[in-house]
Amino acid sequence: MVGKIHVVTDSGADLSADVRQRLGIHVVPLTVQFGDEIFKDGVEISTAEFYAKLESDDQMPSTCQPSPSDFVAMYERIAQPGDTIISVHLSSKMSGTYQSAVLASTMLDLDVTIKAVDSKAASMGLGLVAVTAAEGVRDGKDLDTILADVQHTIDSLQVYFVVDTLEYLKKNGRIGLASALVGTLLNIKPILTLVDGQVAPFEKIRGKAKALKRIQELVEEFRGKFPDQKIRAALSHAENPAEAVRLAQVLSELLPLDGEVLLGEIGSTIGVHTGPGVVALFLYAV
Amino acid sequence: MDAISAITLKNMLLVAAHNLDQQKDMVNALNVFPVPDGDTGTNMSLTLNSALKELDRGDISKIPRLTSLLARGSLMGARGNSGVILSQFFRGFSDGLADVKNDASGEDVARALVSASKTTYRAVMKPVEGTMLTVARVASEYAQEASEEGANAVDVIRAALKGAQESLANTPNILPVLKEAGVVDAGGQGLVCIFEGFLTGLTTSPEDLEEQLAQPITPALEEAERPRLDQEVMVNKYCTEFIILGDDIDPSYVRGELESQGDSMIVVGDAGVVKVHIHTDHPGQVLQFCSELGNLTEIAIDNMFLQNQDFAQHSENHHLDYGPENAGGSSQTEALGQPKPVGIVAVVAGEGLAEIFRSLGVDHVVTGGQTMNPSTEDLVTAVNSVHAESVIILPNNKNVIFSAQQVKELVEKKVGVVPTRSAPQGISALMYFVADDSLEENVEAMEGSMREVKTGEVTYAVRSTVAGDLQIEERDIIGLAEGKIAVVGASPDLVALDLLRGMIDDQSTVISIYFGAEKTEEEAVELRTILSEEYPDCEIEVYSGGQPLYYYIVSVE
Repeated sequence: MVGKIHVVTDSGADLSADVRQRLGIHVVPLTVQFGDEIFKDGVEISTAEFYAKLESDDQMPSTCQPSPSDFVAMYERIAQPGDTIISVHLSSKMSGTYQSAVLASTMLDLDVTIKAVDSKAASMGLGLVAVTAAEGVRDGKDLDTILADVQHTIDSLQVYFVVDTLEYLKKNGRIGLASALVGTLLNIKPILTLVDGQVAPFEKIRGKAKALKRIQELVEEFRGKFPDQKIRAALSHAENPAEAVRLAQVLSELLPLDGEVLLGEIGSTIGVHTGPGVVALFLYAV
Repeated sequence: MDAISAITLKNMLLVAAHNLDQQKDMVNALNVFPVPDGDTGTNMSLTLNSALKELDRGDISKIPRLTSLLARGSLMGARGNSGVILSQFFRGFSDGLADVKNDASGEDVARALVSASKTTYRAVMKPVEGTMLTVARVASEYAQEASEEGANAVDVIRAALKGAQESLANTPNILPVLKEAGVVDAGGQGLVCIFEGFLTGLTTSPEDLEEQLAQPITPALEEAERPRLDQEVMVNKYCTEFIILGDDIDPSYVRGELESQGDSMIVVGDAGVVKVHIHTDHPGQVLQFCSELGNLTEIAIDNMFLQNQDFAQHSENHHLDYGPENAGGSSQTEALGQPKPVGIVAVVAGEGLAEIFRSLGVDHVVTGGQTMNPSTEDLVTAVNSVHAESVIILPNNKNVIFSAQQVKELVEKKVGVVPTRSAPQGISALMYFVADDSLEENVEAMEGSMREVKTGEVTYAVRSTVAGDLQIEERDIIGLAEGKIAVVGASPDLVALDLLRGMIDDQSTVISIYFGAEKTEEEAVELRTILSEEYPDCEIEVYSGGQPLYYYIVSVE
């Protein structure tokens, strides 16, 4: 008999507990560190606690990828001999998490096949990749089909996000190609995107209201590019639920959606690098 | 006098420049808008003076040579729209005299004035009647008529002056804005001053001229030096030009130190790049001094004396390399690395705004706009100093757009002009600049952005006038929305509030307030406090612009 297929991701996916439980997605947490204090994201520190601490603590937090042995422990806990694990992770350009999973796959004594996947994305972008894999498992697809679907999601994913300030991205070295935007004296709310797995500037916009209005236009442009296809959409936000809900409403009006808009709260793994206030949009044509 | 010799022509130009200089305040006061802005008289005066300086640099024994130097000098020195049109006038004038062998007859002068008028019309995309274009054209028509009746050169100039004066007096009947403001056209008035000078120069003996021109003159710029009457002996024979690259150079210090070393000095630039041009007998001392301030590059030293004697032979090859084994210049270029595809030059008044423009990626800020329109040469120098294959210019003032467009023909680099009329438009345009895109793509995207921002300005009236329903007294505070007077009041802060209230609508999201040199951050923040209560959905931002004369520059997006 063919073994089971399991889906593992990391806490950078920002998947809600509901989605994780419904689709049986396992999450390996990254750790977030304020000075000497270390917390496992989502396990030892909740999203609300994290943003409260980010506000009150003078120290700039940092994140740390899970160790290979963290992955080994997860893999050994969920899999039986003969099983396969699809382990999808944060863009390797932004985090060493994928590398850690690859290392773990070589350390495993069990007879388990590990397919480590670099999602080239973060937050709900990674979340959508994990969901693609888990839905394939749920629908009884074979491994090759699931991996092809996963690759399609990675390749066709379009990401736009707006940060309140570029400072967090800059301080943590995750600014990528958007570094040219830092140091402007004006209060610029750039629309950022991901290009080949790293942060890149998309447009410079003055004022958050204008930036969010522009995102709406981008959604319409995206729709225009895929007139005959259904669209998968996800949103994530950091401490900005009102805007996320409003935008979800806009998406369901503008797009022929495949399923609901997946909503996620940005946890400490991503929040350390983006700061509060972020709203991020993830789209792909099915 | 039947005909005009080269020396007489030079004297006519000198008297014209002198006359314009004396009358420039009167010309400035004729600006239709009573704002302290790009002054026509000053611009025309500086343009003509720059042209005259060029005459010191070459052979002026023959009329065609003199006028081609005149055309070139005025082209490089052109400031503001009126200056650019004046430079085109001299260009056409020069073309009209290109075939004159000896002295210019009445017929020659008339032909030159007709050519001058035609060139000015060609230079502007949409010629407007009732401006200096009309004054130059009517002057040329009168000159042409006189010449056909057999008039000599003096009578042709006299006819031209009469035509110019009559046409000037008629400009308010052609252009309603002039009539409303109760003025004649400023550029036309400048041209009349020039024709008056021509006639005086032509009909006064050289001795009397010496005396007249010896009167005290207020130079328009500190470095603007008076060209002397034609002279036999040439001193300061080395034309020395180079660029200093440094970190913390003070151009005014360089100017002060070099002043005693020669004449025709131009020192322009900023703390990082300073361009020096000077005629001196001691190029070595000049270079020695400047090499202590930074790295010297693009050094060129011409012997103007030899140039004059044998211009044709030397003109092709008169730039000497002066660096140690020619290495200085080239290694500097290597140190700068690969030129980037597209650089940006912006014209900005005020240190705060200049910093904002730099922070948005502008490579070189040319100071000016409201107080002083930069000359075409200032823009050429700035464009050349940017280490890029092509350069975008943001004029940020309606009176600089035209000079910026002239730069295209004067540099080897590809130049694009985004016709921004205000600093906020320039900032809006910079939001759309993408370093990796081509010049054309950037210019198109940046031009599109200009519609997204509305600009308001708060300044004071330089004279009493009527604008629509508004009665404005001198020194009243006025608020302009998109360049049109919208609000009049006594307090800059109240005018700024009323101005913004008129500009904000339900589509507005961002309001920016750039406070000027005479305002404080506290006052600007107070405006923000008031406005944020009235418009809770808008983001309101306050920045130090540091601009002179304009209490506030505001924008609504």
